[in-house]
Amino acid sequence: MKRLINLIVNNKAYEIAVAPNRTLTQILREDLNLLGTKEGCGIGDCGACTVILNGRPVNSCLVLAVQANGCNIQTIEGVADGNNLHPIQEAFVEYGAIQCGFCTPGMVLSAKSLLEKNPKPTEMEIREAISGNLCRCTGYQKIVEAIQAASKKMKKK
Amino acid sequence: MKDFSVINKRLPRVDAWSKVTGEARYAADLSMPNMLYAVLFQSPLAHAKILNIDTSAAKKIVGVKDIVTYKEAGTIRYGVSPARYDETMFCYDKVRYVGDEIAAVAAIDFETAMEAASLIKVDYEELPFYLNVFDAIKEGAVPIHDDYPNNIGAEVHQEFGNVEDAFKECDYIRTDRFVNKKQDGGFLEPQACLAYYDMNGNLTLYTSTQTPHYVQRTVSMVLNIPIGKVRVVKPYVGGGFGPKASANTIELAASLLSMRTGRPVKMVMNREQVFMHSRGRHQFYHELTTGVKKDGTIHALKNTCYLDGGAYSSFGIATVYYAGSLLGAPYRLPNMKYDGYRVYTNKPACGAQRGHGGVAARAAWEQQLDIIAGELGIDPIEFRLKNVREKGEVTCNDFNLSSFGMKECLEAIRDRSDWKNKKGKLPKGKGIGVACGFFVSGAGYPIYRSETFHSTAMIKLSEDGGTVELYTAAAEIGQGSDTVLTMMAAEALGVRYEDVKIYSGDTDFGVDLGAYSSRQTLMSGHAVKQAAEDVKRQVLEVLSKRLNIPVEDMDIKDGYIVFKKGPVDFSGIRSYYIKEHRGWAEQPSDDRLTFKEAARIAYIERGTIVSTGAYKPGELGGKYKGATVGTSPAYGCSAQIVEVTVDMETGKVTVDKMTDAHDCGFAINRTNVEGQMQGSLSMGLGEALFEEVKFDEKGRVANPTFGEYRIPTALDMPNVNTIIIESDEPNGPFGAKEVGEGAIMPTIPAILNAIYDAVGVRIDELPVTSERLYNAIKEKERKK
Amino acid sequence: MLLLPRFDYEEPKDLSEACKILAGLKGNGKIIAGGTDLLVNMKKGLVSPSCLVSIGRIPGLSEIEPQNSSIFIGSNLIVAKLTEFALIRKRYPMLYEAASVLGSPLIRNRATIGGNIVTARPAADLPPPLIAMGAKIKLKNKRGEREIELEKFFKGPGETIIKQDEILTGIILDEPPMFSGGSYIKLGHRKALEIAIVAVASFITLDKPDGIIVDAKVILSSVAPKAIHAVSAEKTLIGEKPTNKLIEKAANLASGDCTPIDDIRGSAEYRCAMVEVLTKRTLTAALKQAKKSR
Ligand SMILES: Cc1cc2nc3c(=O)[nH]c(=O)nc-3n(C[C@H](O)[C@H](O)[C@H](O)COP(=O)(O)OP(=O)(O)OC[C@H]3O[C@@H](n4cnc5c(N)ncnc54)[C@H](O)[C@@H]3O)c2cc1C
Ligand code: FES
Ligand code: FES
Repeated sequence: MKRLINLIVNNKAYEIAVAPNRTLTQILREDLNLLGTKEGCGIGDCGACTVILNGRPVNSCLVLAVQANGCNIQTIEGVADGNNLHPIQEAFVEYGAIQCGFCTPGMVLSAKSLLEKNPKPTEMEIREAISGNLCRCTGYQKIVEAIQAASKKMKKK
Repeated sequence: MKDFSVINKRLPRVDAWSKVTGEARYAADLSMPNMLYAVLFQSPLAHAKILNIDTSAAKKIVGVKDIVTYKEAGTIRYGVSPARYDETMFCYDKVRYVGDEIAAVAAIDFETAMEAASLIKVDYEELPFYLNVFDAIKEGAVPIHDDYPNNIGAEVHQEFGNVEDAFKECDYIRTDRFVNKKQDGGFLEPQACLAYYDMNGNLTLYTSTQTPHYVQRTVSMVLNIPIGKVRVVKPYVGGGFGPKASANTIELAASLLSMRTGRPVKMVMNREQVFMHSRGRHQFYHELTTGVKKDGTIHALKNTCYLDGGAYSSFGIATVYYAGSLLGAPYRLPNMKYDGYRVYTNKPACGAQRGHGGVAARAAWEQQLDIIAGELGIDPIEFRLKNVREKGEVTCNDFNLSSFGMKECLEAIRDRSDWKNKKGKLPKGKGIGVACGFFVSGAGYPIYRSETFHSTAMIKLSEDGGTVELYTAAAEIGQGSDTVLTMMAAEALGVRYEDVKIYSGDTDFGVDLGAYSSRQTLMSGHAVKQAAEDVKRQVLEVLSKRLNIPVEDMDIKDGYIVFKKGPVDFSGIRSYYIKEHRGWAEQPSDDRLTFKEAARIAYIERGTIVSTGAYKPGELGGKYKGATVGTSPAYGCSAQIVEVTVDMETGKVTVDKMTDAHDCGFAINRTNVEGQMQGSLSMGLGEALFEEVKFDEKGRVANPTFGEYRIPTALDMPNVNTIIIESDEPNGPFGAKEVGEGAIMPTIPAILNAIYDAVGVRIDELPVTSERLYNAIKEKERKK
Repeated sequence: MLLLPRFDYEEPKDLSEACKILAGLKGNGKIIAGGTDLLVNMKKGLVSPSCLVSIGRIPGLSEIEPQNSSIFIGSNLIVAKLTEFALIRKRYPMLYEAASVLGSPLIRNRATIGGNIVTARPAADLPPPLIAMGAKIKLKNKRGEREIELEKFFKGPGETIIKQDEILTGIILDEPPMFSGGSYIKLGHRKALEIAIVAVASFITLDKPDGIIVDAKVILSSVAPKAIHAVSAEKTLIGEKPTNKLIEKAANLASGDCTPIDDIRGSAEYRCAMVEVLTKRTLTAALKQAKKSR
């Protein structure tokens, strides 16, 4: 039995009919075509599916779409302002924080929520904040450096 | 240092913007109108005869469009190396591990396909199964493959020099054993593909692969489609590290299902299936005997290794060679003997993984060398410095070290880690350790016997002159090949980075053996450089005619034509160009002739300007059996110092600091080189401390999740003091060679040696879990 | 891709509606809070309830309410909030410690305290400190409400005394007594995304800053089907003046108090040894705190 739900995704309102057993990852990818949200494990272990749900980064593979009814969601597609990258994205590009890129959307979103709450995080706080986002490629160092650089950049603005 | 405009810089990746905005499309993101979804049906048993397969109930499900088993697929054998084609698309006579593929179901959606697959019934006759090398080779064990009655799928026996005699000349000899665990690639993107066989008889397969070329060949052979009609396209790939370097069942099954249904078919593995498909690092049981002279000269090495290969060969023949051939090379070792056995077991097949074949051996030996240095009372770095080879030397197994900055690597890490004040002087529970690494820079030979070029490249100048289009079949899988190939093209041609547009990872663009054995920067790089130089020549030739200046007196740099002998009147070309572009916003106004204008003239004169490049290694050393595995146009090397803290009461190891130096010949992109080093170290740290694919008593993967198969998190991996050493490799494009795999080599032994420095125990089994180290510490206390 | 089996979904607006729905489902339904346990188990095919009843929209279940000499923590409060409220950090640091090592930041933004209790994993992070501090829980169904001690709630892995139609509405924690202190340490492989190999929560109360131990709770986790008291360790501590020697003795006894098993995360033997180490460390930290507290 499908249910009608309302979502605000990247500042756009949607009304969608969803079956209760579909996850937020599925709805974003399959119904809204927001394919930047990835699925690496489906069970909360990797963070590739990270989205910001009502201000908090979560594993969208473990959220039912119906649970998100009425919520405000930000996906990686909503981070840049048109063609202008967000300072975190700029820093990821500049500092080499990206290799295969599969973890990148989740990393950027975790970093973004961190810097919104804590604009001047320490290295440990950064590592802690992205500890639910696995990256097999980079060894994390350049991701951490990028987030540090973004924090500095954003402070200046 | 030469003056470069593009290379050797820290440019952002060409794909960074797509990736950071979520725009980049990976195989699982693709879809096509009218697409079907397919899933696999896999064996629940580790070893059994198949008596009957009944798909009738599954077929009745509404929405199911096709079900295929060996009956539909045929039983053409394939694999990685033609000498060991031991796989079929689906099992027909028996299943050999839990997860072995029996059937595939295509339906209108995943849910329907899954439901139908759950209704497939197979009758089995269970056979004895072997989850361990030594059980599999016992007298009387049932063969897993009939062709290999003793379950040894491949064997290697090599000797260089004379080891037995050499041991007689040694003052100190010791034997140690070492074992690692089966490791998973741990890439974040599960394999996925989308196949479409169109009405014109062309198959297009979009797939998450490291090796489009090998996948193309395998699909063509197994499905019996002319190779020219098979196009394999690699979208963005979310990491590979080896396990994605050969064709897999979903690629074959999706292609077959698409041929049969006439519709596009998509397949996606889940994480458990990734673990079951595996093709990751083997488990190696090494026994090493090393003999040295009093003064610390390494004189002889005897290496025996058993590899737990799993149910199929995959890359295993190469692996069993690599486990021997790479080991001695960084040191002046005159005598080396190796006996290797790759054994079939009823587990997922192992294959190539970062540092192919050499990681466990390196860990074992570098730890043993540390012990030996300790016994002789020589500082472990001094010991290594005494023995390391230098540029121009040839190893006892005929590897030509055409460049070799090992000494520089060791000195750099020593000087930048305060080694002298730390080694042996840290408080109990803290330790420092060192180790070296070594790896090929591209396999010298393709995986099938052939004279084929290893890489080709094509460059076409856009007819307007403004853009350089680079076509290559090389596989960007995250390591950055698109970026470095673009940089090399720009440098060689003399244009700006942003003027080059790369199209890659598509078998229609040429031949490239793919992303494995750390080959693309060197091999694809050569092809690209050659093509770029040829384009440059063509453009300059046209200019030469137009301006009446010898080609040698001109060059192209940063997007401009350089006239070496002073200013030249090119107003004819300029006014022609401006006339052609009347009304356009941007017109050349510079007092320099742009590449764009020159390239436009070249097109007007000659038609589309196209050039190609092709590379294969020249004559490589080694005439002995097995010389094809290990010989390479160049060799990378590295050295590393690791500092750890051991919690003496729990055995928990924390890696505090890593200092790593890697000789990559010449860094095309410095940021990318560092990224490869840091990523390699993190994978090494995982294998050293956490990672192990475990099996239950029935042969099922016991930990097929990232929760219980632990790759390091951001909190487990420290920052690395990353040092790039550039030795200028004569066989590499611009002097470049590998960094992608060799960098992992020293990590495990450096951690092991640091642990010893911290707590005085030697660990000979990975991973060094808290429990394992705790037990070793207790054991040592008990012995006191 | 992992798919969820099909199920119906209910989203009651208040507790009484929730109770009614649960009663009507007669055990075929399950409550979903954060879903971080339930959805994983459903994706793995371990459970397939015919209906999920979300408690996400029930007012009052997601708050922390300080009361006179205790606090009430709504069962649907996410674990992240336990790490954010200054009150928890100050007054119940042990709970803060446990909450901040649960899963990952992403998991903590969904996982609830109630879910962590009802799921009854032997390695769950929040029950040990809660038990050590004498937490009580409130269970409600159509017929009424009951309040019980948390430690009486668990039966074994995944098993509790909750009735099919009951909802855990919240947790009550008394204000810790004067001169008390607690500490929770979890031993895992990695530094995040870890299920405990062993964890210990210790809570002790002194009669005065340099006085004797009047109450001691040592709760061992991951070494038995449910979190257990290290009974002999507790006995040894009570009535004594805390010294290093006493702590060592208690720690040693604690390792005899547990009955762990070998599993994929560690052997029984190692777990026993680690119980001793962690008991010693948590007691030492708890004592330090107790001496300082008010
Ligand atoms: C990647 C990952 C890492 C994790 N790491 C940890 C960890 O380190 N430590 C740890 O302890 N746990 C961990 N967990 C497990 C899980 O996150 C926690 O147990 C969490 O607190 C469960 O809460 P929830 O709200 O998500 O529960 P749910 O999944 O919603 O529910 C769990 C169970 O409790 C029942 N339930 C929930 N709320 C109520 C209620 N109010 N009344 C009655 N029944 C109820 C549900 O019916 C279900 O049976 C991890 C999980 C994942 C996926
Ligand atoms: S896909 Fe959601 S955490 Fe891995
Ligand atoms: S960049 Fe590949 S997983 Fe992070």
